[in-house]
Amino acid sequence: MKARLLGIVVTAAILAGGYWVWTSPDGAGGLGRQNAEREGGPQHRGGQLVTSGRAGPRTFNRFVGQDQLSSVLSMLTMGHLLRVNLSTFEVEPWLAEKWDASADNLTYTFHLRPGLMWSDGVPFTADDVVFSLKAIFDAKTGSYLQDVLSVDGKPITADAPDASTVVIHFPAPSGPGLRLLDSLWVMPKHKLESALAAGTFAKAWGTDTSPSDLAGMGPFVIREYVPNQRIVLDRNPHYWRKADDGTQLPYLDRIVYEVIPDQDAELLRLQSGDVDLTQSELRPDDYVPAKRAEDQGKLKLAEVGLSPKADAFWFNLKPEAWKSDPRFAFVRKREFRQAISYAVDREKYAENVYLGAAVPIWGPVTPGNTLWFWPDVPRYFHDVNKAKEVLKSIGLEDRNGNGVVEDAQGREARFTVLTQRGVGWYERGLAELRTQLAPVGIAIEAAPLENAALIQRMLGSDYEAMYQRFGTTDLDPASELDMWLSSGDAHFWHMGDAHPEPWETEIDALMKSNMTTPDQAKRKEIFKQVQRIHAENLPVLYFVAPRMYYAYNVRVQGVKPSVLRPVALWNADMLSVR
Amino acid sequence: MIRFLLRRLAFALLLVIAVSSSALLLTRLAPGDLTTELGPRARAEDIARARERFDLNRSPVGQLGGWALRAARFDFGDSFLYDRPVSGLIRRAAGNTAVLAITALAVATFVGIPLGIITGSRRGGMAALIRGVSLLCLSIPPLLTSLLLVFLASRTGWLPAGGMTSVEAVDAGWSAWLLDVMRHLPLPALALALPLAATFERLQAQAMTETIHQPFVTAALARGVTWRQLLIDHAWRASLRSMCAVYGLAIGALLSGSFVVEYVTAWPGLGRLMYEALRARDVYLVAGCAAMGGVFLAIGSVVADLLLFAADPRVREATAE
Repeated sequence: MKARLLGIVVTAAILAGGYWVWTSPDGAGGLGRQNAEREGGPQHRGGQLVTSGRAGPRTFNRFVGQDQLSSVLSMLTMGHLLRVNLSTFEVEPWLAEKWDASADNLTYTFHLRPGLMWSDGVPFTADDVVFSLKAIFDAKTGSYLQDVLSVDGKPITADAPDASTVVIHFPAPSGPGLRLLDSLWVMPKHKLESALAAGTFAKAWGTDTSPSDLAGMGPFVIREYVPNQRIVLDRNPHYWRKADDGTQLPYLDRIVYEVIPDQDAELLRLQSGDVDLTQSELRPDDYVPAKRAEDQGKLKLAEVGLSPKADAFWFNLKPEAWKSDPRFAFVRKREFRQAISYAVDREKYAENVYLGAAVPIWGPVTPGNTLWFWPDVPRYFHDVNKAKEVLKSIGLEDRNGNGVVEDAQGREARFTVLTQRGVGWYERGLAELRTQLAPVGIAIEAAPLENAALIQRMLGSDYEAMYQRFGTTDLDPASELDMWLSSGDAHFWHMGDAHPEPWETEIDALMKSNMTTPDQAKRKEIFKQVQRIHAENLPVLYFVAPRMYYAYNVRVQGVKPSVLRPVALWNADMLSVR
Repeated sequence: MIRFLLRRLAFALLLVIAVSSSALLLTRLAPGDLTTELGPRARAEDIARARERFDLNRSPVGQLGGWALRAARFDFGDSFLYDRPVSGLIRRAAGNTAVLAITALAVATFVGIPLGIITGSRRGGMAALIRGVSLLCLSIPPLLTSLLLVFLASRTGWLPAGGMTSVEAVDAGWSAWLLDVMRHLPLPALALALPLAATFERLQAQAMTETIHQPFVTAALARGVTWRQLLIDHAWRASLRSMCAVYGLAIGALLSGSFVVEYVTAWPGLGRLMYEALRARDVYLVAGCAAMGGVFLAIGSVVADLLLFAADPRVREATAE
C-alpha cells in the first residue's frame, strides 16, 4: 500500500515537473536565458554568433570541396570579384569596385578596390585572381569548378595588366555571363603557389592545416577547427567592407559553427538559445514548435518565400533499366505520366504533406524562382475521369476488377518507388500519392532506402520510380545544365542517355542556346520553351512548392533569409547580435 | 596467471582482426560507396578519382589485404569524410568516449549495485519503488532518454544541451576547459548510465536474493554475524560472480561508444564517428573504428576475467591448475 502511494506521489511529481518545464514561457519557471527582445534598433559591433550544421568540413580548399559547408565557409572566409546577392539575385561589385565590358561581351576589365589586403596583411593583387583561375584549370587540381567556369567547353581566362586590374576573357558568348564569376573564389598566391607548382594543390588546405597557413578575403578567418565539434571563426582584421554608415564590417567579433549531427537536438538547442541560427530552413514538422518558441519571445520566425525546389517524382526512362519488363511499353508513353498529373489533387497534397504550407506547381521551376518562373506553363488540373480516359487511350484499363489498371496482356501498372529513409515529408508525400493514384488504378509501393543506397540505385539506373528533391545553388537554369542536357551527369530520369528522345534533343538545343545567349530577355523566351516541352512530356512530375520558414534567435540582427542556402550566413558580414 | 593473460591477449588480437576485417568487408559489400557522399550530381571524373584514392576499384578481398598490410605498420588509411589520417581521428574520439564511458560506468556502479543490494535483501515500499524506476529506465530506449535529457537541459538551462565543451572554452586555460568538460559530461553520462545502473540493480538484486537463501548465510547468521556484516562481507561477495561477467561486457560496450547517445548529445566520441563513417561508407574509417571498438571489447573481456579471478576462488584454483 505504502509502495503504491509512494509510486503515485513520485509519478505525480514527475508529471507536474514536466508540465512546468513544458509550459514555462522561458524554460524552468524563469530560469531560461532568453529575453523577449525583438529585432530592430541600430546594429553594433562585437559579440559572437553561434550557428550549427550536421557535419564538419572535409577540406578548407574551396576548389575541391563541393559540400554545403564548403560553400558556407567560402562565404565566411573568402572573396570574389563580384557576387550574386542571394536576396535580390542581382550581380553586385565585391572585390572589384567596377568593371567595363567589351562590345562583344567577351572581355571584362575589372578594377580592384584600392588597399585590399589578405587576412594575413599581404596586399591583394590582380595576380591572385590570375593564379586562382590557373589553379582551377590545373589538370592535377581537377577542380569541379572547371565545369562552372567554362563556356562552350572552353575555360575562362584572365590576365593582369597591373596590380589593380584584372581582364577576364570569355571564350564564347555566355548566357549567365558575369554570374559565373560568383564561383571564382580567389585563393592567395603567396600561400599556395608552391603547392600548385608541386602538383599538390588539391591536397592543400586540408582540415588539419594550421589556421596560420590559411588566408582569405572574407569577413572572417578560421581560428580553430576541432573535428566533429566546432569551427571558430574570428573577425578578419583586414576586411575591406564598410556598412552604409561607415562602420567597419563585419559587425560580429566571432562566429562559432557547432557540429550537431541530430536535427531534432539542433532544434532544441535553437529553442534554448544555445544556437543562434542554423544553415537550413525549418522542416515542415518543425514549424509548430518554432512558432511556439516565437510566441514565447525566443525565436524570430521568418517566412522566406516559396522554395525554388520541389519534391520530384519520376519513372526511370532508361530502356536498358527495364530490360525485358513489358511495363516499360506504357511507362515510356507521356500520356501515362500525364494521367498521373491529372490524377493528383495538388491542393489536397499540399494540405496533407506540407500541412497546407505549399502551392500547386506543374513544372520544375517554382514561383519561388522569381527570375525564371513561367506562370503559363501547361497545367493538368485535378480530374480523375480525365486521368482514366488518358490511361484508356493508351490501353490501360482495370480489366480484372482488382482496382489496378493493366494493358491488353494483363501487365499491371504497379510500381515500387524508392525514396530516402527518415525524411518525414518524402514518406508522407509517397503515402499521399499512393492514396491519390489508387482511384485511377495505379498502384505504388514506397521503399525508403538509406541515402547512400538510394544514390547508388539512382546513378546505376536500378529502380522503377523515385521520389526525391535536389538542391540548387543558383536560380539560373545554367546551374542545372547537368540535369537538362541528355548528356548531363544528372539527367536523372535517363542516366547516360545515348539515344535521346526527339523532345530531349529539342531541350538540348534550346539549353545550349540559352547558355550562349547574352540577351537575358531572349534567354527567358528560350527557357519558356524548355519548360513547355518539359510540361508536355513530364519526364519528372512536380506537385507543390513548399513555403520556406526560417527560425533564428531574436538577438540576431540583420538577417535577410534567402530561398537558397545558406539561408542567413550568405550575408554574414552584416549580421550582428544584441 | 601469466599464461592466462597471454591467452586472453591472443584472443583479443584475434577479436580485433576479425572485427575490423569484417567491418571493412561489410562496408564494401553494402549498397552504395563513399562516392555517393559526393551527391547525385557528382561529376564522373570526381567519382573516378575518389574510387581510385580509396582503393574501391580493387576487389574487397584485395582491398582488405592492402589495408591489413598497412595497418600492421599502424597506417590505417585516410578518412574520406575528414580528409585526414584515420588514426588521429580515432585516437581523439576514443579518448572522448573513454571519458564518457568511465564516468557512466562509475555512476552506474555506485548507484546500481548498492540499490541492487537493497532491493535484493529487503522487501517493502522503498524496494518496490527502486524496482519500478529500474524497470522504467530499462524499458525506455536510449534514443528517447537522450532526447528527453537534451530537452530538459535546453528547457531549463541547468546543463549544456550538448557537445563536449562550450564556445567559451575556446580561449580558456586548461583548468577552465576541464571544468567546462565536466559541465557537459552529466547529460550524456546520465543517458548512458541510467539503463546500465538499472541493469546492475536488477542483476545485483537477483544475485543477492539467491545468495541470502544459501545455507552458508544461515550458518553465518547462526554464528551471530550481524545482518549488515552478513550482507557486505558474505552475501555481496558471493553474489559478485554473476555481476563480474556482465560488468566486463558493459565496459566493452560502453568503451566502444554508444552512437545513439553520442549522436543526439553531439558528444564527439567513437560511436558517433563510427555511425557517420558507416553512413558515408567511409571504408577505412569504419575499419579503424571497428578495430578500436574491438580493442575496447577485448579490454572489457580481460577486465571481466580479472574481476572474476579476484572474486571467485574456484576460478583462481582452476587457473592455477
